[in-house]
Amino acid sequence: MVARRRKREAREAEEKLPSPPGYSAIPIKFSEKQQACHYLYVKEHSVREGTKSTWPQKRTLFVLNVPPYCTEECLSRLLSPCGAVQSVELQEKPDLVENLKEPPSKFFHPKPVPGFRVAYVVFQKPGGVLAASTLKGPLLVSTESHRVKTGIHKWISEYTDSVLDPEALRAEVDTFMEAYDKKIAEEVAKAEEEEGVPDEEGWVKVTRRGRRPVLPRTEAASLRVLEKEKRKRARKELLNFYAWQHRETKMEHLAQLRKKFEEDKQRIELLRAQRKFRPY
Amino acid sequence: MGPAPAGATGESEVMEPILESIGKGGKKASSKKRTVAGSPVEGLLQPVKLSRAELYKEPTSEELNRLRETESLFHSSLLRLQVEELLKEVRLSEKKKERIDTFLQEVKQRILRVPSTPETELMDQAWLPAGVRVPIHQVPFTVKGCFRFLPPVQVTIVGSYLLGTCIRPDINVDLALTMPREILQDKDGLNQRYFRKRALYLAHMAHYLAQDPLFGSVRFSYSNGCHLKPSLLLRPHGKDERLVTVRLHPCPPPEFFRLCRLLPTKNNVRSAWYRGQSPPGDGSPEPPTPHYNTWVLQDTVLESHVQLLSAALGSAPGLKDGVCLLKVWLRQRELDKGLGGFSGFLATMLVTFLTSTRKIHTTMSGYQVLRSVLQFLATTDLTVSGISSCLSSDPSLPALADFHQAFPVVFLDFSGHLNLCADVTASTYHQVQHEARLSMTLLDSKTDDGFQLLLMTPKPMVRTFDHILHLRPLSRLQTACHRLKLWPELQDHGGDYVSAALGPLITLLEQGLGSRLQLLGHSRPPVPEWGIHQDPPKHRDSGALTLGLLLRPEGLTSVLEMGPEADQSEAAVFRQLWGSRSELRRFQDGAIREAVVWEAASVAQKRLIPQQVVTHLLALHADIPDTCVHYVGGFLDALIQGPKETSSTGEEALAATVRCYDDLSRLLWGLEDLPLTVSAVQGVHPVLRYTEVFPPLPAWPAYSFYERLREQASLAPRPDKPCPAYVEPMTVVCHLEGSGQWPQDVEAVRRVRAAFQLRLAELLTQKHGLRCQATATHTDVLKDGFVFRVRVAYQREPQILRETRSPEGVMSLRDTPASRRLERDTKQLPLLTSALHGLQQQHPAFSGVARLAKRWVRAQLLGESFSDESLDLVAAALFLHPEPFSPPSSPQVGFLRFLCLVSTFDWKNNPLIVNLNNELTVEEQVEIRSGFLAARTQLPVMVITTPQDRKSSVWTQDGPSAQILQQLVILAAEALPILEKQLMDPWGPGDIRTVFRPPLDMYDVLIHLSPRHIPRHRQAVDSPAASFCRGLFADPRPSPLMPVLGYDPPQLYLAQLREAFGELALFFYDQHGGEVIGVLWKPTSFQPQPFKASSTKGRMVMSQGGELMMVPNVEAILEDFAVLGEGLVQTVEPRSERWTV
Repeated sequence: MVARRRKREAREAEEKLPSPPGYSAIPIKFSEKQQACHYLYVKEHSVREGTKSTWPQKRTLFVLNVPPYCTEECLSRLLSPCGAVQSVELQEKPDLVENLKEPPSKFFHPKPVPGFRVAYVVFQKPGGVLAASTLKGPLLVSTESHRVKTGIHKWISEYTDSVLDPEALRAEVDTFMEAYDKKIAEEVAKAEEEEGVPDEEGWVKVTRRGRRPVLPRTEAASLRVLEKEKRKRARKELLNFYAWQHRETKMEHLAQLRKKFEEDKQRIELLRAQRKFRPY
Repeated sequence: MGPAPAGATGESEVMEPILESIGKGGKKASSKKRTVAGSPVEGLLQPVKLSRAELYKEPTSEELNRLRETESLFHSSLLRLQVEELLKEVRLSEKKKERIDTFLQEVKQRILRVPSTPETELMDQAWLPAGVRVPIHQVPFTVKGCFRFLPPVQVTIVGSYLLGTCIRPDINVDLALTMPREILQDKDGLNQRYFRKRALYLAHMAHYLAQDPLFGSVRFSYSNGCHLKPSLLLRPHGKDERLVTVRLHPCPPPEFFRLCRLLPTKNNVRSAWYRGQSPPGDGSPEPPTPHYNTWVLQDTVLESHVQLLSAALGSAPGLKDGVCLLKVWLRQRELDKGLGGFSGFLATMLVTFLTSTRKIHTTMSGYQVLRSVLQFLATTDLTVSGISSCLSSDPSLPALADFHQAFPVVFLDFSGHLNLCADVTASTYHQVQHEARLSMTLLDSKTDDGFQLLLMTPKPMVRTFDHILHLRPLSRLQTACHRLKLWPELQDHGGDYVSAALGPLITLLEQGLGSRLQLLGHSRPPVPEWGIHQDPPKHRDSGALTLGLLLRPEGLTSVLEMGPEADQSEAAVFRQLWGSRSELRRFQDGAIREAVVWEAASVAQKRLIPQQVVTHLLALHADIPDTCVHYVGGFLDALIQGPKETSSTGEEALAATVRCYDDLSRLLWGLEDLPLTVSAVQGVHPVLRYTEVFPPLPAWPAYSFYERLREQASLAPRPDKPCPAYVEPMTVVCHLEGSGQWPQDVEAVRRVRAAFQLRLAELLTQKHGLRCQATATHTDVLKDGFVFRVRVAYQREPQILRETRSPEGVMSLRDTPASRRLERDTKQLPLLTSALHGLQQQHPAFSGVARLAKRWVRAQLLGESFSDESLDLVAAALFLHPEPFSPPSSPQVGFLRFLCLVSTFDWKNNPLIVNLNNELTVEEQVEIRSGFLAARTQLPVMVITTPQDRKSSVWTQDGPSAQILQQLVILAAEALPILEKQLMDPWGPGDIRTVFRPPLDMYDVLIHLSPRHIPRHRQAVDSPAASFCRGLFADPRPSPLMPVLGYDPPQLYLAQLREAFGELALFFYDQHGGEVIGVLWKPTSFQPQPFKASSTKGRMVMSQGGELMMVPNVEAILEDFAVLGEGLVQTVEPRSERWTV
């Protein structure tokens, strides 16, 4: 292993780091102490013709293989020498649509445990992207001035953060429910308004809320109806009434026995193959 | 379907060894991707597909006959096929028979050619050649009479070989050599003279036959273990050595002994001769010698028995099959071997007896014969009402009562003189009866595969009995005989003190154990073999006497042995039995009685009261000190004892927790100010079904050890201190009533639930002063030092999660992962918990077994692949489907059977059906099985079905993978024999923790953790001598602050590792104080791959032969292991170079 590492170091010194076509590799490691590096593979974010992407063209850097201990702030700090960074977004897998929604509630969506991720880094100017592709590195995630917490320290601070304030939760629930109630009330009002009113072509929508409720449009309800029909039919049928029916029942019994016999034979065959008839 | 036989463990041809195949396609996906549709996997049953034409063709008369026969003679067609296969396996093949026959011809000729010797005194044995010793203990040596050797007048084959009922392996052919009348004299039946002559006869013959090159080995043995009757074993030379053993039994000429001299009431060993004293002048009668007489008698009837048997069995193949099956049945139960075993010969005689009484008909099939014999054994107690095959009503015949007086078990042969069961002890017969009863219930139940369980499953003693007890050294029994005043018995048994003492000792122990005992079994001393130049082995050479105790769980709860009232006459007997332990006590009802009280505070100690009883009684009555009694019952208890705990195995702590939970649920029920009422409170945590390995202890935190979060009134760990104690909140599901007010939208339901959690916390704090902490999904409640996590649940929520609306607007219900998870956590888990809680009330040993099993799986670092519930269900199966055993009453035997079940169960072709509360009918089980076969490829590798979960096997959905399961099977198959050997070793188990230590050599990388940050460090299998303070007080003190909950750095670390490197490696860890994480690289992920943007995680690009390939960046990953676990990780130790590509 050591020999291999030495060989690679020697090779790295003389030539450019190997990287997949279109990408350039930037070594990154946690701190000075570590020997080996991970490699960020970066390129300018571009999409095929016709695909929609909300990331700004020319200014977005696409980064692969971001180590788990590297946070958004950290990446922003590491890439800022290339140009002012507007935003950094870390994601599980490549996603063309920028996550513009407001961050999910911390009460209902706890932060997932990070693994290796991809990042979209948006620079303020297009020059940043180019500068980043030629970055030499190795980048250091944790330095004297900006220490990144890992291990015990990280878990303790996470634990402390996970103890949340119930009052804030209550406030959030209240606002959500207020909005929800309003939405439902509006829907109900709208439905009531439309009740019994024909549309342009004169059709009237029949709902459960109306004066004469109908069956709900669910799969279960339709299955129930079918089942009922079937039972009704079965009640009327006569069993073993005609001679041919009788004969068929007998034959059916025989067929069952045959099938069972075949199954048993197969089972025995298998057991014999596994030498399971040696009692001891 | 029962466990498959031992041979199944070596199924390596169908499942690849773990190292090569682990990680193929990832853990979760592997179970589903296992089979490509259409290609049959080896060793997997496929649903049968018969074409319509084949199914509905006209039946031939032959087919109809066979089908009809199957229905009437056998249970089912499967059973018929199985029985036929088994018989094929154990029967002797025709080819071998021929070889044996030619060998027998040779033997006969050789025997008849042995030269005769001149007559000498019996005591003068100088004529014997130097290389041979007399195969009998000649004590006392002085005996009258003369001996000379003459070739036998007749050599006859007797026994099962002639009948065609001998079974493989160990084919024995018995030859009876009729000694010429000239050798014997009148009164040879007296004082062992006949036996001495018999032994000398064999010794001379052995000397000559040993020189013959025809024989590979010539050795002595005892016939049926009776040490007065040696027999000569001859084995062919060369490659046929294992083919057959020919046993030579000399016997007297017909009608040499007068039958009336050999009645069980007669004496044939004179005390004056045996003890070397002059006869006591007071005229007291000589003690009868029934066993001695029987042994003489046995030799006289060898030939007539074989004639009788061949007449009875000769023309009835069904009876022969039945005898073979019976022999297999007995052998699997270890009942047929050794002195006093219920031998195959006895079984044959029993079949003939039942034929003569018309209980068995000659046209019956082997299966029916087996069934009838078992039925007879189960219902007839030969120790009370003996049977006789003798048909004549001659008044000169001895009465059955005489035999009952002399022998514990009575079964007379056709002559009416010989008790076939003379050496069988009452205890052996009771064991046979017990087994027969178990087997009958099994056959009647029709649910399981009776064949497997009845005939293919071995029942070794250690796995059958709850507790095992070894008496060693055996020489101690000699003193016991004297103490118990057993001189007549010694005289009768010719000095065999083990057999002489066995009966009285067993009676004594049975009496003492009383209601605690269901059955007391004993090992039968094995029949030794020895070379002809050696002295016969001594009685003490057979090792140890092993007793097995099958306990009655209901009797184990009491510490009191209540005796009769003091003034009654029985009081003296009671005092005599218990000696100084018996004391007068006054009871609450005013009675003053004799009583014995044992010291036992916990359930674990109560389980071991039999040990106190046994050691006390043996020391008191038989002079056997407790150093000579090695009691094996509680050795494994140490593994489920809490840290610093020695007396209890945690049942008490679990009960205390459950009581606290009951209080809490009462409080929840009583809450009145909730907008909706509570409709159900159900525990779901393993503690609440008694299966948590280490029960939680109330936590009283020392504040100085923690960071205080003032606003939230809770504690948090401090970086500068060792990791605080691990407090796991116990989850309780609290269902609220349904109401139209609940919103019908997933997000909104979650918000409403959160509001309820807040309200619950508020109310519990206000009304009952409990410290609560609410979050969006649960409310943590601190009560009496325990923390409960109350989750509010809404019945309809899984339903809402399932609803999907098709484009046409039709609402349909489809399972989603979220709905399944919710349904599992709020519906199925509470049901399971309450069912297992109920099981614990029925079987007090359940908790111990389930916890030991879980402990073992976790100690093997495999705990995280198996859900808690799946292991609990496997343990429950041992109690609900114990066949062919009875439900375990001690954790030890339960754990052994767990290992056996895991290692032999055919997970591929069978679902493990756990019939909780007996809800599944036979038809439903059949349906489950056929459904299983049809859907096998879509089901997880390990399928456990319960009445609540008949199709999907929810508890094994997320693992284990095929490789992990296979690894568990291998480990269990290795652990079982080791542990059984340790427990059956009469000199002590050695290190009982051996099987709990995981093998570490298979891992590629070991990550060593610092004990400072392992909160459960003290729970380790090898408990550390010293560990860190975890910030708890020992004694209760009220605490207004919430302790640190569920903070376990190794678990947090593992979660990070699995998230970051789950694609490249598997991580193994023992959550109970493990100090090491085992890492196994997945070989498939280490194949160089072309670049893909979606799979760059932790890899780097390398140019290989001009092509750019992605390979895992191992050096960096190894360093990441240390970075991610900073503070926790001590060292990262790479152990193999396997990843170099």
